[in-house]
Amino acid sequence: MPDNTNNEELSAILRDDDKLLAALREAMREREAVPAWFVETGKNAYAWHNIDAELAQLTYDSDNDQRLAAVTRSEPALIRTLAFTSPQLSLELEVSEDGLLGQIIPPGPGTLEIHTKAGIITTTVDEIGCFAVDPKPDNSFRLRCRTASGADVLTGWITL
Amino acid sequence: MRDDPSVVAMVVRAAAGDQHAWDEIVERYAPLVYAICARYRLSRHDIEDVGQTVWLLLVEHLGQLREPAALPGWLATTTARECVRVVKAASKSEWRTAGRDDSLQFVDDRAIDEEILIAERNAGLRAVFAELPARCQRLLSMLISDPPHSYATIHETLGIPVGSIGPQRARCLDQLRRSSAFLTLAEGEIAGNTQGGKARA
Repeated sequence: MPDNTNNEELSAILRDDDKLLAALREAMREREAVPAWFVETGKNAYAWHNIDAELAQLTYDSDNDQRLAAVTRSEPALIRTLAFTSPQLSLELEVSEDGLLGQIIPPGPGTLEIHTKAGIITTTVDEIGCFAVDPKPDNSFRLRCRTASGADVLTGWITL
Repeated sequence: MRDDPSVVAMVVRAAAGDQHAWDEIVERYAPLVYAICARYRLSRHDIEDVGQTVWLLLVEHLGQLREPAALPGWLATTTARECVRVVKAASKSEWRTAGRDDSLQFVDDRAIDEEILIAERNAGLRAVFAELPARCQRLLSMLISDPPHSYATIHETLGIPVGSIGPQRARCLDQLRRSSAFLTLAEGEIAGNTQGGKARA
């Protein structure tokens, strides 16, 4: 659509009372169409502002390997493995039907938070750096790991 | 609206930790994000997913937005990209067997530019409206309600003589046109049109 059309349309709205009222009506209607929960969700997202954790990048996903190997394989693997890496800490994750099993490297105790869009679940990382999440989150989530040695790492969003 | 100073100020304040400024951004642009989700005909669950992802991404990028005034463009492209992701994920298996329907797969730049312009105009109009004196807001609200109220009802509700409603309506609209926010809206829209797709820089 040529730019002139929009400009002419706008000039008409600026000049004409009826058109201006119609434009206002449309603007109000557009806002009214937005459910309150949608706006609330947006406001709640601010809780993530300035979280002081280091971001761990996804560095391995077995699903990607499987896609490459799909030609030669007849059955998909039952367990998906993911790895996240940051300068402070790496995190390996196995996804099975039942849940998540993970290990942090270097090994050591700490706490693991599972951040879903609905809220946070906390679990323990044991002395050898292992943790379990059961059942597995059914929606997108991120993991934040804080170790006794002072590391604080957050993964990107994971969708299983 | 690319150079709307209020948008820049909101982004700067939100990046500095002001939750109230963040809330203003969400209030102002939630209709834009929602309108794009609606265009992809997503389920409520998927709309929620997309909305959450978009706002979370924005929270993380607040400090890095190189041009805060380009926020609506950033929001529109990010929303469209997330919608495509959700649509693809939902129909992955069907595509494999039944042949792919690519119609929703690619983001239509022009449609998004159009969406941005309309949503920005609407957001601007709402901002302008909010600056009007309360009596004008009450009168105009009754005039734009759907279905519109009759002059008799407006007279009963607001106590304005029927013969004064027309002149007051004209005065309120003139006042609206003279407000600084309206001028920003008008200039911004014309500038935005001549710059075309650059809004998504």
